[in-house]
Amino acid sequence: MRILLVEDDLPLASALQRSLKSEGFVVNHVNQGKLALNALSTPDQDMVILDLGLPDMDGLDVLKQLRNHKSSLPVIILTARDSIESKVKGLDYGADDYLVKPFEIQELTARLRVIERRLGTANSSLICVGQVKLDTFAHKVLVSEINQSAPNKTNEIELNFSKKEFMVLKALMENAGRILSRGQIESKLYHWGEEVLSNAVEVHIHKLRKSLPGKFIQNVRGVGYIINNEN
Amino acid sequence: MSIRRYLVLTLFSVLTLITFIAAIQGYKVSMSRAEKQFDQQLIDIAQTLLAVQRSSLQTPLFINDNNSNISNKANQITQVSQQGSFAFQVWNNNQLVIKSDNAPSHLIIPAIFSLDKNNYFSDVNFLDKRWRVIALTHKNEPVNQTKIVVIVAQPLQTQFALAQDLILAAVTPMIVAIILLSLLIYIIITHGLKPLHQLRSELSKRNTNDFTPLNLQVNNTELADIVVTLNQLFLRLDTAFLRERHFAEDAAHELKTPLSVLKINVHNIAQDFADRLTTDKAQVTSTEIRNIESVIELTQSVDRMGHVIDQILNLNRTNTEQIVRGSTGFNLNLLLQQVIAELYNDIMTKKQTIELESEDSYLFAHEFSIHLLAINLISNANKYTPIGGIIKISVKLINEHDRSIVLCVEDSGMGIAPQEYTRIFDRFYRVGGDQHNSNVMGCGLGLTIVKHIVDVHDATIKLSSSNSLKGLKVEVIFKDNHALKAVKEQDND
Repeated sequence: MRILLVEDDLPLASALQRSLKSEGFVVNHVNQGKLALNALSTPDQDMVILDLGLPDMDGLDVLKQLRNHKSSLPVIILTARDSIESKVKGLDYGADDYLVKPFEIQELTARLRVIERRLGTANSSLICVGQVKLDTFAHKVLVSEINQSAPNKTNEIELNFSKKEFMVLKALMENAGRILSRGQIESKLYHWGEEVLSNAVEVHIHKLRKSLPGKFIQNVRGVGYIINNEN
Repeated sequence: MSIRRYLVLTLFSVLTLITFIAAIQGYKVSMSRAEKQFDQQLIDIAQTLLAVQRSSLQTPLFINDNNSNISNKANQITQVSQQGSFAFQVWNNNQLVIKSDNAPSHLIIPAIFSLDKNNYFSDVNFLDKRWRVIALTHKNEPVNQTKIVVIVAQPLQTQFALAQDLILAAVTPMIVAIILLSLLIYIIITHGLKPLHQLRSELSKRNTNDFTPLNLQVNNTELADIVVTLNQLFLRLDTAFLRERHFAEDAAHELKTPLSVLKINVHNIAQDFADRLTTDKAQVTSTEIRNIESVIELTQSVDRMGHVIDQILNLNRTNTEQIVRGSTGFNLNLLLQQVIAELYNDIMTKKQTIELESEDSYLFAHEFSIHLLAINLISNANKYTPIGGIIKISVKLINEHDRSIVLCVEDSGMGIAPQEYTRIFDRFYRVGGDQHNSNVMGCGLGLTIVKHIVDVHDATIKLSSSNSLKGLKVEVIFKDNHALKAVKEQDND
């Protein structure tokens, strides 16, 4: 994935570049809003990491102008402004995500991966977490189990799920390591006006758990569900 | 004491007192003048009678030069029926000549003939009344050596009644005047002090942190000056707070960016080492292993520094003015879910179980601060609860006479000894003072920040031991109505 990094602080920019490159991303860097808008006029970028405190203009203006050109380029805002108003404002202006400095680099890369998958620019359409592989294009779920007879080999068993169940699993796996609330899962499954049964998500999860390895999908009572990253 | 009440009461008392003294004085003077008038009146009447008597004496009918006719003369007492209150007697040489029918037959003033006075006043009792009496003596020609004595009397009661009537008529207007004046005083003072009263009510309506200029039309110069000064003061405070906030924001930014750089660089080094370990395991030297350990320490130090900076900046930015201005209604349940999601990594690392027990409940408060409060409380629960422990968060609505929302965080950790309850809210204090457990990262500001936020929202915080989990139980009680009210008044401006 080709990322445009808009950040005026040079040490931060170079550290980020090095870090992201080692994760396999291609990073171009500019240190001014004007230069960013120039760069974005060509379709060389897949997404933008945008710092708000730029020397020539407010990062939000860059974002606004970008959106005005009907560009649906994914944008992650990186900033020291952590008030709720700033966050809401940033998301209102059209940012896809909002990260506050100082951040954990793993957090940033995780979110970049989510965008990567969404864009379909990942090297493969597979999401792998632990023993489970989810193929987003072929709509297949494969679980690897250790072959009893040949311990070095693993069997891949294909599981069948309904469309909604697949979507729930995909949402959880895409956001592996982050808790998704019931409301968030519902919003991924149902469009406005579609009737949602109050415990529809619970039923889907229950069905998923029956076939998937135990403890793959974890429930955090009162909060939501999570699939843990295996580290 | 209220200025108005003081003025009204004092003026009223002084007015009443002085007028009263004046009235009494006037009464006394009037009474004595009246007495003099009455006496003068008695003299006039007496003299009139005397004149009449003298002229009648000169007629033949009454000439008497023969003492033998005394008894006859006694029969010739003339009685005059009297309409008025006066009683009179006319004596000629110890013989009663004329008397009014309301006068006695005996000499009203017995010793009068022996007295050698022309006008003689006295107070005499007769006929069951007390009378003011004048005895007017007229000596006839020295030849006859006779005396005519005219005695006129008026009941003191009558005199008194007359005088009283007069004086009261004079004094009554004064009393009415007092009442009227009091009323006028009250009205005038109230009106005069109205601008002051307006200023007071304007100021009391405001929030302690409202620095918008006063919108007051004041006619009198003193108050106008005061209002101007107050508005200048508000402006200065507003600017000062704004400056402080900008400073805090700028400082935050300047601190956070280098911190980010540090973190990423440290991560990169660690990553490089990790790669080295996986690809070139055999080639790794002991120096490199020591380096890796140093880098791990470095990472932890950087995290710790980041934590301290964050906490200090957070402590600084939760001041009252920001909070009151920035309060909104939001779903507390949703906020708690977000906080748990944010902290879930740390919770998972320690294999702890976390539970949220709440329904959708709405709080009127400063969302960012409550977010901070929740992060600190839950992060504490996570840090000070051992591996595999349990953290339980609940939100309860209490619907007694005062609606309140209780946010409760309990854990199965080691809790805090009750004697430490007051101290842990102190800045930079961690349980055990200088002997605190340094294995757990923290700088002692978490609960200080929490307490600060609690105070600013006019809420209360209670520490206790959890009955179910045996660890620490923290309850934050928000008076829902109060938070609502404070902001509603803001909106009405």
